[in-house]
Amino acid sequence: MALGSSDRSVGTASPASGVPLTRQRGRHTGVGRAHPLVALLWLSPAIALIAGIVVFPSVMLFQASRSRYSITGLRRGEAGWDNYANVLTHPDLPVVLRNTAIWVVAVVALTVVISLALAQLLVKDFPGRRVVRWAVIVPWAASLVITSQIFVLLYDYNYGLINHVLTTIGLRSESIDFLGDDRLTMASMVVVGVFVSLPFTTFVFIAGLNAIPDEVVEAAQVDGASGWQRWRMIILPLLRPALMIASVLNVIYVFNSFPVIYTLNDRNPGFSHDTMITFMYKLAFKSQEKDVGMSAATGVINVLLILVVVVVYLKVINWREETR
Amino acid sequence: MRLTRRQTFQAATAAAGVMLLAACGGGTGAGSAGQASSASGSGSAAGGAKTTISLMAAEYSKDNTKAFWDAFAKTYNEKYGHNLEVNVVSWDNIDQQSSTQIQNNQPPDILNLNAYASYAKDGLLYTSDEVLPAEVKSDILETFQKYGTYDGKFYGFPDLSSARALFYNTDLFTKAGIAGPPTSWAELEAAATKIKAGGNVGYALPLGPEESQGEFSMWLFNNGGDWKTDGKWTINSEQNLKTLTFLKGLATKGLTQNNPAKTNRADAFDLFKSGKAGMVIGFSPLAGDLDKDAKVKYAVAPFPSGDGSDSKTFGVTDYLMAFKKPGNTEAVKAFYELYYSKDQINTFIEKEGFLPVTKSGVEYFSTNQKLKVYLDTLPNARLTPTDDPTWDKIKLAVQQNLGAAITGDPKEVLDKLQKTAEAGG
Repeated sequence: MALGSSDRSVGTASPASGVPLTRQRGRHTGVGRAHPLVALLWLSPAIALIAGIVVFPSVMLFQASRSRYSITGLRRGEAGWDNYANVLTHPDLPVVLRNTAIWVVAVVALTVVISLALAQLLVKDFPGRRVVRWAVIVPWAASLVITSQIFVLLYDYNYGLINHVLTTIGLRSESIDFLGDDRLTMASMVVVGVFVSLPFTTFVFIAGLNAIPDEVVEAAQVDGASGWQRWRMIILPLLRPALMIASVLNVIYVFNSFPVIYTLNDRNPGFSHDTMITFMYKLAFKSQEKDVGMSAATGVINVLLILVVVVVYLKVINWREETR
Repeated sequence: MRLTRRQTFQAATAAAGVMLLAACGGGTGAGSAGQASSASGSGSAAGGAKTTISLMAAEYSKDNTKAFWDAFAKTYNEKYGHNLEVNVVSWDNIDQQSSTQIQNNQPPDILNLNAYASYAKDGLLYTSDEVLPAEVKSDILETFQKYGTYDGKFYGFPDLSSARALFYNTDLFTKAGIAGPPTSWAELEAAATKIKAGGNVGYALPLGPEESQGEFSMWLFNNGGDWKTDGKWTINSEQNLKTLTFLKGLATKGLTQNNPAKTNRADAFDLFKSGKAGMVIGFSPLAGDLDKDAKVKYAVAPFPSGDGSDSKTFGVTDYLMAFKKPGNTEAVKAFYELYYSKDQINTFIEKEGFLPVTKSGVEYFSTNQKLKVYLDTLPNARLTPTDDPTWDKIKLAVQQNLGAAITGDPKEVLDKLQKTAEAGG
């Protein structure tokens, strides 16, 4: 993004900058071209930013992943690929990968489905729409840790509001251990994951729906398409770009989600409900390994993993489009 | 050890740091083994030169810790002319911050933490001979000297301590018709059964990852067991297996709160503070909270013994360790001289509600009736093997695995921990 926007500024801003040389160059080489040095000058803030916050940490991360660390954090020398081997042969890795898959697929799928419905509702005109739209944004504006902590209180076995309601109205005689019962922990976390992902996704869909011209829908209506047919055959295909953006961004965002899982899972020992992200954190600071090198290796693996998932997803989408 | 009750906002700061970490994926680390390149500050030659040293201190309480260290830094500067940069960090964050600073070859001059042996093993620390005034050393209680000694040298200088005891809810005890605190495990179980019959939690048992090694230590010390005996790991000893099986029994009979394997200490304390639990292992800061709330009537008793011997207490101490950096020796020495002076250390401990680590401190606090039950046991307190760097990893292994015994096989859990310990973590 940063690169793109400053790229554009090369074309528009340099002729206006008032330096005669630039204008001359511009005339010689045609509209929208600039001397490489001038371009570099304009690009330099963006390049510096990217070098500073993307390239440099990545290099350091990779370096760390190839180093041997003491439990204190002291670097003890080169480790070769040992850290990677240790991560890949970690006995809990299969469980963590499975959790990650469930977490990402469940949260993204539920988010997209619910957001579609919500967006459909929110583009309709009804009294109080503005208020409802604001209400949908709120979970987005709140800090993830605070939201998660509120859910911890809601879910609590002894004092939680949900259990209080369930037992008071007599639906349950005993409290449900939402966060401690192994069968429920992941589901309870997914609910929170969906809750915090809804606002963004819903607003992407609202934008998408607003971009669909009314004429198309009206034409379908005139041709006798039922409500469901109109939605399925007209609106959904036209929403495809919004759907794709929403799901790709959500996959990345949900995969990298740390606070929800860390906060809700904090009472559970071991890695039985961790995803790759909290696994990475625990390897560095909480688990018996307490190894910065292994954690860094997991970080590199995570980047590759999410890259592969997104590339594969995009390929699948394209393939479907071509075969249609 | 997390001495402070965890709070939402601590978690918030922790997670903020964590997200930073997640963003760059595990921190960086280009520092290499050996000495830090340069101490902060300048003067190394002249003894009277002004030096700036840094302190990374753990936050025991929101109200007192920072206030104390800020005042301390001021006195320090007035008295010695050196500067002290104070950095107070929450317990949730301090491991991560200190580790990152060491990775980057910029450790603080003084670090306040619950472990030191790994740092001593890595050759990062000063010994007592280098920085601790002789009269201070002789004032520190022998127990703490012993557990602060790694490889024959004293590195882990204690800042404060705590000792555990049995807290029981006197209202619930009276209601259930129990005469007094249990003195044996059979009595404890009987009491818990009676309290449970009244619809409350008999004994609040926190075996969750926050501090399960602390809870288990108290139990196993009182049943003739230990983590390490005569220099050898004895985690899966006969006695320890009996102890863990007993705890599993309490849980399966429903005498504890729901899901003890996944209950953190803070949550167990909350149960007791809300008056829903009959018994819990607590320490002086819990008493402070209970007194402040004035909601629950409680009393404190020595922990009952499982094998008929005298009650033992589990003691915990945190450390103030000094990192070797060129030119900081004098300033660090001055730091310890001031910290261990009576009006500093005792003020700190009193404000935070903990227990002393020095002989003069025990004397100072001996008039405090509330602390008597702990102070009597303190000189003979048993600690976890903090003097062994392996323990720094075993502690984490225990936190992450001990709870599994409640639903699984206690023997398997202990055998696995023993194997981990014998393999050096």
